[in-house]
Amino acid sequence: MSSPICIAPIPYAALVEYWFGELPQNEDERIEVHLLDCAQCSERLGDLVKLGAGISSVFRNGGVRAVISPSFLQAMKREGLRVREYRVAPGGSVNCTISAADDAVVSRLQATLEDATRVDLVHLYEQGESRLPDIPFEPAAGEVLFCPSAASLKKSPAHTATIRLLAVDETGEHPIAEYTFVHTPS
Amino acid sequence: MHTREPDQPLDDAALAQAIAAAAPRVDTAAEAELYRRLAPRVRHYGLRHLRDAHAAEDLMQQVLLMTLERLRAGRLRQPEKLASFVLGMSRMVVLEARRGTARREGLLRTYGDVPEAVDPPEQRDLDEAKLSSCLEWLPERERSVLVMGFFADKPADTIARELGLTLVNTRVIRHRALLKLRECMNMDDTPP
Repeated sequence: MSSPICIAPIPYAALVEYWFGELPQNEDERIEVHLLDCAQCSERLGDLVKLGAGISSVFRNGGVRAVISPSFLQAMKREGLRVREYRVAPGGSVNCTISAADDAVVSRLQATLEDATRVDLVHLYEQGESRLPDIPFEPAAGEVLFCPSAASLKKSPAHTATIRLLAVDETGEHPIAEYTFVHTPS
Repeated sequence: MHTREPDQPLDDAALAQAIAAAAPRVDTAAEAELYRRLAPRVRHYGLRHLRDAHAAEDLMQQVLLMTLERLRAGRLRQPEKLASFVLGMSRMVVLEARRGTARREGLLRTYGDVPEAVDPPEQRDLDEAKLSSCLEWLPERERSVLVMGFFADKPADTIARELGLTLVNTRVIRHRALLKLRECMNMDDTPP
């Protein structure tokens, strides 16, 4: 079909699931034939591919923070990223830095999360605080992995910051643990 | 070369027919146009299955060279089934790529006069500073799902398991996040 208007465009959600290989085989094959036949849907897939490549590149270049999983941390290393890790116990403090050669820093915040339904991460600086509400976490993991923006961190002067994890439920906020980071530029 | 009315573009099947009908001559215009149309589509197929831009580029060239080779030889009897024909060859080349065999160099020696493809859209620059800013505005769960999905090629069920989410919720989060990003990046229309 090389007509200017596609009469049966593939829904965006299906394109995304196709890209990640999540569709049943028959549906995957149906979409594959359509994409090879349809310039418009192929172009929309191209937009998704471009966006995905951009997200990957921004993260690789330290342009964005993310809460991640231990398995994803391993994937970062397999991809060749140089990662500096800081494992911090509840109430603990750590001297930390990031060098020009580092691609990422990951704070491994040890915590008991099994009873939590929602966790907020509060970052306390000398100038104020920022709150990351409802972060993703795996209750049985026993830790939260926080990967701040490496690009921002590399510009940071020496400072001390505190990260506080809070359990949030209908009765209010309950501290889980607090961690202190004494940052020195490399 | 065949002559055609310039204001009447041929569809893919008609281009395939024109290439076959021209043999043993070469309909350069028809081949160039078919190559231009199919190149990004085949490249996307390669990216989806090989997850590597260079390998996808190689696959695209090899599949299109083989397609033109077969069209010139009159080996496509039903031009309206061009997509299925190309899909079959794409699958074969992916299998070959995975086995580590390569026919591309030989084909290039034989059919090296085919046109080059235009740059597919994903090779053009995306404003990464703007994308970074758009990503910063997303809620944490949405950013995590997108970063883990696209950086590490993790499907939704894996992300769900690693982040303590349900599969359905992970897909909803991912879909919502992508729509927000598209809007933030001014990426044209609302997708269906």
